Amino acid sequence: MSDNDTGSVSQGSQLNSEWEAELAELHQRNRMAEAMGGSEGIERQHQLGRLTVRERIAQLLDHDSFHEVGKLTGKATYDEAGHLVEVVPTNIIIGKGRVDHRKVVVHGDDFTIRGGSSESTISDKWLFAERLACDLSVPLVRLVDASGGSIRLLEMNQATKIPGYGYAQGRRPDLLGMVPVVSIAMGPCAGLAAVQVVASHFSVMVKETAQVFAAGPHVVAPGIGEHIDKEDLGGFRVHARGSGVVDNEAESESDALKQARRFLQFLPSNVYQSPPRRPCSDSVDRRDERLASSVPHDRRKPYRMRDILAAVFDQDSLFEIGRYQGASTITMLGRLNGYSVAVMANDPLVRGGAMTAGAAEKITRFVDLCDTFHLPVVNFVDQPGVDIGKVAEERGTIRKAVRAAYAISQVRVPWSTVFVRRSFGVAGAAYGPFGPANIRYAWPSAYWGSIPIAGGVEAAYRRDIASAPDPKARRDELVAYYSRFESPFRTAERFGIEEVIDPRDTRGLLCEWVEEAYDIIPQNLGPRCRTMRM
Amino acid sequence: MIVQVSADLTGTVWKIMVNIGDQVAEGDALAIMESMKMEIPVMAPEAGEVVEIPVQEGDVVQEGTPVVRLKV
Repeated sequence: MSDNDTGSVSQGSQLNSEWEAELAELHQRNRMAEAMGGSEGIERQHQLGRLTVRERIAQLLDHDSFHEVGKLTGKATYDEAGHLVEVVPTNIIIGKGRVDHRKVVVHGDDFTIRGGSSESTISDKWLFAERLACDLSVPLVRLVDASGGSIRLLEMNQATKIPGYGYAQGRRPDLLGMVPVVSIAMGPCAGLAAVQVVASHFSVMVKETAQVFAAGPHVVAPGIGEHIDKEDLGGFRVHARGSGVVDNEAESESDALKQARRFLQFLPSNVYQSPPRRPCSDSVDRRDERLASSVPHDRRKPYRMRDILAAVFDQDSLFEIGRYQGASTITMLGRLNGYSVAVMANDPLVRGGAMTAGAAEKITRFVDLCDTFHLPVVNFVDQPGVDIGKVAEERGTIRKAVRAAYAISQVRVPWSTVFVRRSFGVAGAAYGPFGPANIRYAWPSAYWGSIPIAGGVEAAYRRDIASAPDPKARRDELVAYYSRFESPFRTAERFGIEEVIDPRDTRGLLCEWVEEAYDIIPQNLGPRCRTMRM
Repeated sequence: MIVQVSADLTGTVWKIMVNIGDQVAEGDALAIMESMKMEIPVMAPEAGEVVEIPVQEGDVVQEGTPVVRLKV
């Protein structure tokens, strides 16, 4: 039943029932819930360029599909005779609805009521929403816009409590292994609200209006003496373009809601289902001529990997996750002949595409997402190796890189590799034939090895080069000699790579592969469990 | 506000692609670094105006060194 329905039933209908008074009160209470924090609070919210929680829910869900649960919660006042005067609603709204015809559970904070403060919260409501999503095996969407705990709670409760929410807290990690969880940060999200943002598979924050932090500026200043405004402390530049705490940034609330819908379109409702397929008008045989020359012959020149991906996958199907962090690796969801796939690729324009600490963390999380929801992975490789240098060592890059490599090796989803250019060293070794159905393809521009030739020659022929009459000429001669072994055709002769292909055939081959991949996905449905990696 | 665009890896500043006062769009190459035997661009994270270029071509810079400052 929609909000509008509940509001309109009471008007104009003459009931002939002994329960007329109670029914009238029910409708009155529903209207009070719909009034949220009152017209002043709503106006203030709009003036800030923000939607109310009910408007957000309406934009998120398919038209008229919201079924609210717990609408009557709130703080009521009664006159001396015990008649209802007013209900100030609880500042959490929960319920069920549909995104692209598929059921989801949603919980959203109402900032028009005491700034979403936990003073007027009934935490049981969002715990119920989490449990409902788990029980119904449908995705959960969190619309987070809450200022966190308040000292006034102590006065209200006349006591303090040990932090936590009993049974449901134990359920939360399970939730992430069962159903997709999407979080949208829509205002300042501190403390528990920040937890809700990060306890998700995909998170997005609205630029300038959303911030995420363990504690806001008013706690930071007296706590550690750091005076900083909320945007500098936890705005999009910090979290969507650096820390990795939030995956994506959004230009507006509508954009954020659209991104949440988009993400869910690629995923199954739960881990017991295969990811959904959509109709596709893009031909599986499309050969994009640009692919024949998209990688420059001059190995010093980088190129735009995203252009290659756009030419291969279904038209306009790519949805990027975490573009600005660990940016030497690109992670996307996309489609091949309508089938959902995960896309992982190196970006040579960023740190040469190297496995940085940030990229390693991004890969680990992304691969876990794919493995959890059985999304087949297509991996476009141009991997120069693990990031090097003092700063990289201080960041613990090698350990994080090995962790990412182990995550890749533990996937049980079909995996397909396309070697575009480089694949070197420890990081290059990560893209082996681990997943089922992995036929590895290489473009003629691909080359690989344990060690790049220039550096390798330098190390192995140090004395030889130093004692030569013209050391540079000797080095060049050695590099030229060893370079002949780098042709992917030589590797193919020994079946070290399964196929070397014309780049223009990539789409057709991957569309063939994705059919095979989806044939075997049902064998592995259900929850995944893994070892501790390191 | 001023956004500092830094070298995201250690290497040599090979080419500077902009001048002070230039308007740049998000994703524009501001400078090209030479590192790991490749030409790797330093790109504008946001649109803005170039207000300072604290490096010169040929400088060897550490990761995190400011290359361009943009007014956004």
